[in-house]
Amino acid sequence: MTKKQTMNQSQKLMVFVLTMSLYGLATLFTELIPKFQVGIVEFSVEYFLFIPLVLAMLFDPMSAALGAATGELVFSEIMLGQFGGLGELEKFITVTIGVYLAGRMVRNPRNRKMTGIAAMTGTSVQLILGMIVDILKVQFAVQDFEAVPGLPQSVFVTEGFACLNDILFSGILFCMLPALFLVPKLYGKIEPLLGISPRTEKTALEGINGKVIVCSVAAFAAAVGAEMLAESGLPLIDWEAAWAESRGALAAGMITAALIIAVLFLVIKKRAGINKSVENV
Amino acid sequence: MEKVMKKLSDSVLDKISMDFLRNQVLKNAYGNDDTRIARLDPRLLLVWYVFFGLVPWFTQDLVFLTGCFLLVAVTTVMAKVAGLVLFLFGVGVFSQTGYLFVVSLLFGGNTQTVLPLLVLTLKVATVSLASVTVFSGLDPDRLSNGLLWFGCPERLSFSISYAYRMLPMLMEEFQNVLLSFRLRGYAPQSSTVGGKVRYLIYQIKMIMQAFYPLMLNTAKRSRTTVEALEIKGYRYGAMNKEVRKMKLSALKITEKDLLFLAGSIIWIGLFVLLAEIL
Repeated sequence: MTKKQTMNQSQKLMVFVLTMSLYGLATLFTELIPKFQVGIVEFSVEYFLFIPLVLAMLFDPMSAALGAATGELVFSEIMLGQFGGLGELEKFITVTIGVYLAGRMVRNPRNRKMTGIAAMTGTSVQLILGMIVDILKVQFAVQDFEAVPGLPQSVFVTEGFACLNDILFSGILFCMLPALFLVPKLYGKIEPLLGISPRTEKTALEGINGKVIVCSVAAFAAAVGAEMLAESGLPLIDWEAAWAESRGALAAGMITAALIIAVLFLVIKKRAGINKSVENV
Repeated sequence: MEKVMKKLSDSVLDKISMDFLRNQVLKNAYGNDDTRIARLDPRLLLVWYVFFGLVPWFTQDLVFLTGCFLLVAVTTVMAKVAGLVLFLFGVGVFSQTGYLFVVSLLFGGNTQTVLPLLVLTLKVATVSLASVTVFSGLDPDRLSNGLLWFGCPERLSFSISYAYRMLPMLMEEFQNVLLSFRLRGYAPQSSTVGGKVRYLIYQIKMIMQAFYPLMLNTAKRSRTTVEALEIKGYRYGAMNKEVRKMKLSALKITEKDLLFLAGSIIWIGLFVLLAEIL
């Protein structure tokens, strides 16, 4: 019988919880290690991506990917009060795509070569997508940088270099090697703990096909859109403020905020009304 | 002199130990249930956050921004946020605007460059302090209920509640695994430069290997958790609108909430007026 490695919903939830707590813990540590931001180039540590990568190769890739992204959001952003709003969506989606692709690539976790390639691919995809977002931000000049001549070129160079550095350094040292160490060791041991049979060539999901790629690209486009929206808020308003008197802009800001609050309160009232009508029934 | 330096570095290392981190996170999550901010209605606080997360970007007025900043600073103090979070906030603000100031000084900046930077710093600080107040000051269960009310996925609110409960345990377990590795292992000498490099590699390798037992243990724990949830009908309940309503019916806007809101509005109104006069 060649059944696919299927999991029921509660097993998927187990994988989600497992990845979320482990990767969340790891990102909490990396969040506490200070980041160095020089201009627009950021030297951050992506050391612990091997955790969701390993779990995505052994279990359901989608649950592991979503768990990793949620874990990062909850543990290192919301818990430490550093929630950045819409801009967080970009990280969420790129991590999901990278981990998911890596998980789909490995059909037989015993195959060391494939494990290594998949770990590198997952990391590279995540880092390269992040780099593209950063470059696009400058490209569309949503950030106020035209005053400095030659800056776009230097951004390409610095971003490209940082990305390459990350891929070579943290990709090999902190993603590929731990994955090569952990995947064969955990294979066959961790699956029974969740009541799942280990993945083999026959039971694995199909490799990456067109649908996966199309979905990934669509998700990435959404991420870019969100990031642009988050970034463009500032200069757009600055531009308006320059056009109007600062007092007018202030009034506009106050009125917009008051409107938002008013609308939200209307929604609250409406929902409260629904709740009451349910209670009466 | 050497002794003093050693003492100093020891005390700094003490500060960033695992226990310290765990205590800080615990304190942040459960140590401040009794503050005024934690008792406010989460929905109202989220709306409040939307205001202070957005409006500062819309204005250039120094007086108004100072007013906003003072208000969120007061609420942060009221929320009794843990020191670690405040430290991270400080680092964040500096990395966003502080270095610009230093660079501008290098290029012959003067008091005129300080003013726009001050405006930018005030904006960044106001927005981050507002998020610190709401996300760190609120009780995690109330926060997740508030998010659920605004239509966030059930998974997210579950993750928040779960993360706050599990994190201290996970940290302790991670530390135990690391300690047992250290007990059994033989650390390389770290007196020479080559030894220091070897020591660093040894440390990193240990952390990586520590995730092996940690993964197995966490797998067991997450199975127990999910099975316990299933027994209580969690997945069915999460989909059911009726259950959601019952869960959220505990949220009530009281006089205290209205008082807080009114106080904020009056304070901001005052500063708008002040900005008009000046």
